[in-house]
Amino acid sequence: MFTRILVANRGEIAVRILRTCRVMGIETVAVYSDADAGALHVSLADRAVRIGGAAPAESYLSQPAIIDAALATGAQAVHPGYGFLSENDAFAAACAAIGLTFIGPSADAMAKLGSKTAARRIAESAGVPVVPGAVPQDQSDASLIAAATTVGFPVLLKPSEGGGGIGMKEVHAAADLPGVIAQARREAEAAFGDGTLYVERLVAKPRHVEFQILGDSHGTVVHLFERECSIQRRHQKVLEETPSTAVTPALRARMGAAAVALAKAAGYANAGTVEFLVEGRGDDASFYFLEMNARLQVEHPITEAVTGVDLVRAQIEVAAGGRVPWTQDQLTQRGHAIEVRVCAEDPRQGFLPQAGVLALYREPSMPGVRVDSGVVEGGEVSVHYDSLLAKLVAWGENREAARLRAREALARYPILGIRTNIPLLMRLLAHDRFVAGDLDTHFLETEAASLVPPDAPPSDDARAVAAMAQRVSAATATPAVDSSWDPWTSLGGRRV
Amino acid sequence: MSEAATSITPLGAGRFLLNRDGRQRIAYATQAAGATWVFLDGEVMVIGAPTSSTTRTTSADDQASLAAPMPATVIAIAVQPGQKVAAGDVLIRLEAMKMELPVRSPRDATVVAVKCREGELVQPGVPLLELDET
Repeated sequence: MFTRILVANRGEIAVRILRTCRVMGIETVAVYSDADAGALHVSLADRAVRIGGAAPAESYLSQPAIIDAALATGAQAVHPGYGFLSENDAFAAACAAIGLTFIGPSADAMAKLGSKTAARRIAESAGVPVVPGAVPQDQSDASLIAAATTVGFPVLLKPSEGGGGIGMKEVHAAADLPGVIAQARREAEAAFGDGTLYVERLVAKPRHVEFQILGDSHGTVVHLFERECSIQRRHQKVLEETPSTAVTPALRARMGAAAVALAKAAGYANAGTVEFLVEGRGDDASFYFLEMNARLQVEHPITEAVTGVDLVRAQIEVAAGGRVPWTQDQLTQRGHAIEVRVCAEDPRQGFLPQAGVLALYREPSMPGVRVDSGVVEGGEVSVHYDSLLAKLVAWGENREAARLRAREALARYPILGIRTNIPLLMRLLAHDRFVAGDLDTHFLETEAASLVPPDAPPSDDARAVAAMAQRVSAATATPAVDSSWDPWTSLGGRRV
Repeated sequence: MSEAATSITPLGAGRFLLNRDGRQRIAYATQAAGATWVFLDGEVMVIGAPTSSTTRTTSADDQASLAAPMPATVIAIAVQPGQKVAAGDVLIRLEAMKMELPVRSPRDATVVAVKCREGELVQPGVPLLELDET
């Protein structure tokens, strides 16, 4: 087993990985950019190494800086988290070349699965159904338009490399394609350094259901059931839950077997996620392979909540050469878990990201609730990184119990100083269609009018609290100087 | 026994006990960015903030203003001085927090001057380009 691991990430996922390392008695090394010198993940590690400037390219994406930090601190392994270098096969190969264990799949498996087109071929060879689609060899606009016409509109235009919905575009008519192609290509190049595009048929009212898998270097692969991630905005997930309200035991068995077959065909070791689109609901539903995410997912805690395992611990164990710690039969789903992503963004301003200081930040603590976060009160949310502040995961004996816990926990989660999406998440969790489990990937778009908080004037209660807060603040700012100020008389309504 | 309909008791560290007609709730409040922010049962209210009517029209999807809505990096300038643009045309593409924020033309106009360059980190409120008068 490793004695020292470097965590090549920031924010909530770095914190989450550091915590498991501590539990395992493994020393930790954090890396940080200039913008993150005071960040939570830095203070939680045994050692911390500055790796460069605030821009990701100068720090968290800098392979030489991270490898130097690992060598300088004597780390034996690197955990990449998600995003940044987690799905960069060149980085995985560079680590392997100097004897540093990359906690994730091999560079080879990653390269095969990282390309959507190659991943499709693997899926087809493993007998896993795929969405009808095409990748023109010649990437000219004319070829892409011809491919889209063959597949049939509406189509989805996707970058061949990468994921996370970046650069993905829905196109409903051939006339719209040229403009969209240019933007998709630019975003793909900016995000992944490769502008190759891929055309796929757009499935009507699809659900996004993914399967967690874990493989080891001895050829064993198990799945840890599904996660339903249909609640998305522009392909960025907002809420995830497990089990899925669309998946029956028979469908789960078919999809789980397909996920395992795909991972085996790719020679996949470590944690990964096989994403499917599901059309319909129940035993007769169709499912299509979308892509495989060769890393730990943001939403992995809901799987941990219903299966009771620590996925990061399992990742570290199999990376060290160990076997998958459970047989398929030992894995079961107990209860229901819902995760909501708490983001620094203002739904009322078109989800504009918000940067600034977290003037007040208090996490809820109550039965069945877990908060994975990377921020602290007084900390600054930087413009350089994504807007995810924390993930709130609620577990319950059933879906309704989990839903009510998630809602109550959000109502006890004050974040002030910058706007967040908590008011939207509260409305989402109370929405009739969500309560009924009637979901598809267009849910947020379709229901936006009832989910985005109205621009209402503050309530009388809020005004009263604000007035008291202003008086308390004024009193604190001038302590005991103003002798005429007496809290017992001037704080009207204060109960003594 | 007569009691004020609403009483508010500071509990310290930004916590307040709100009692309206005997029903108790915990609220949180603090001063930030020149305003008082209040959190009550999952809703956030900002009181005494500079009027938001100027920012209401901006969004991550569609910037009606010719300034960045937040600190952002200029990733592309799609127009040149002298160029005619139509309402809704994308003039400049910004990026912040991994999101692309297009700056669109609010009307049909001619570009007079471009006041930023690609790769530049721009601050909110500072015009990124100038359009001719209508």
